[in-house]
Amino acid sequence: MVPNKPIIYLNNAATTWPKPPEVQEAVRQSLSLPVFGSGRTTGSQGEDYITMARDALSHLLTADPPEHVVFTHNATDSLNILIQGFLTEKEKCHVLTTALDHNSVLRPLHEYEQQNRISLTILPFTQCSVHHSVVEDAIRSDTRLMVMTHGSNVLGSVQDIQSIGDILHDNGIYFIIDGAQTAGHIPINLKKLPVDAFVFTGHKALFGIPGTGGFYLRDPEAIAPVRFGGTGTDSFLLLHPREMPERFEAGTHNYPGLAALAAGVKFIEEKGIASIAKKAEKQTSYLIRELKKEANITVYNEHPDLPIVAFNIRGLQNDDLGFMLARAYGIIARAGLHCAPLVHKAIDGGQGCVRLSLSWFTTDEECRIAANAVREIARNADSSVGQA
Amino acid sequence: MKEFLIDTAITKDFFAYLGDFGQVEALPNVGEGFYKFEKPDWFSIKGFAGDTTIEVRFKKEVMDLTVDFLYLLFASYHEGMIDLSMLKQREHAVGERVRKRLHGM
Repeated sequence: MVPNKPIIYLNNAATTWPKPPEVQEAVRQSLSLPVFGSGRTTGSQGEDYITMARDALSHLLTADPPEHVVFTHNATDSLNILIQGFLTEKEKCHVLTTALDHNSVLRPLHEYEQQNRISLTILPFTQCSVHHSVVEDAIRSDTRLMVMTHGSNVLGSVQDIQSIGDILHDNGIYFIIDGAQTAGHIPINLKKLPVDAFVFTGHKALFGIPGTGGFYLRDPEAIAPVRFGGTGTDSFLLLHPREMPERFEAGTHNYPGLAALAAGVKFIEEKGIASIAKKAEKQTSYLIRELKKEANITVYNEHPDLPIVAFNIRGLQNDDLGFMLARAYGIIARAGLHCAPLVHKAIDGGQGCVRLSLSWFTTDEECRIAANAVREIARNADSSVGQA
Repeated sequence: MKEFLIDTAITKDFFAYLGDFGQVEALPNVGEGFYKFEKPDWFSIKGFAGDTTIEVRFKKEVMDLTVDFLYLLFASYHEGMIDLSMLKQREHAVGERVRKRLHGM
């Protein structure tokens, strides 16, 4: 790393950094007192971080009732619980997903496909999106589930959930959305969106810390719980309580994590999700405009809906480019496949690319420095590679 | 992938020396100069001139065979005692074992 150069952190689609001061303070506060969890301790001197976080998420996502917001360890954990829970009570069925999806969706589904519990169809995308007609054409009489990303973590394209969900629901197909990249970035109204379950993670645009995530479930009876244990309630019951949210929450919660998540969501509400989206759009457009000035830079989505810029420089390997940005300019990006191998197969032959991803805390000056750095490398790339 | 902290800053000459054992690429105008050494099936090394850390990526299937040669390359250069014929002999011997393991010949 370049000594004495400040870090320019542009890997926010992986994990946001920095966190708002309010989030850091919430974690400190949560650790400064003993945990006072309902049913698990006597006394009430502490904050009820679980309810605070549940109410905050419910409000941000317009997800009613709040008890249908369930906390897990992260988005991958949520997807595993939902997919496994859905398949517990079903015969072998047909499942749809997309080539835009992350391994957090693809790998659980491939596992079940290998176990002969599902047959799987992976739908292609064109111009960064999966068209609803492609979904409609893929539906079979035994199609029971579709799991897809809300926003691509490589291309930054938000998918037409409304149209796809309408088609799926017309056909009685259960619809799980992976909102890891969208929650906190764009307005989401789960009262209106035709989805059965919506997955979020705490450590990205919601400004929480790693180890928190969850999902909203419209009809808890639709899937079976897959984890059982202590809930602090109904302890004489031999079986795990079936009420929400206990139905899907076994064991002690991540109190510091949920304190951070509640504070992160509060921060977003105070800034206003529209302001966050507007700032991100302006900075992302600037970066793309600048990168396109170099003929040897390929930007894979020139009009992303999320603050994500995926690109390559002709003649350079993406991991070398990431290395140069980090070491020579102090710019932290993400190079490689971004856990989304099928996206890369489609856009760059599976070689991978470099991703710059912004957050509310990214400054215009940081964008300017990053654009200049990438352009400088690009200008040197064509003439210099191969010469020792 | 491993990062190595080395005693003295990397120079263009170090990568020129490595050029006897594989392919070297350079972007001398990026930062203080970006250099990358690639020895297919063995490992790659990249770093910036003036930097005291380098990044090494091993092919993990044969890392147990090649890591000693990497240290030998470093040590020979660092001590200023480059015996090219000895290094080439060693490279040939290790190369045989690498080929056998990876390609069965």
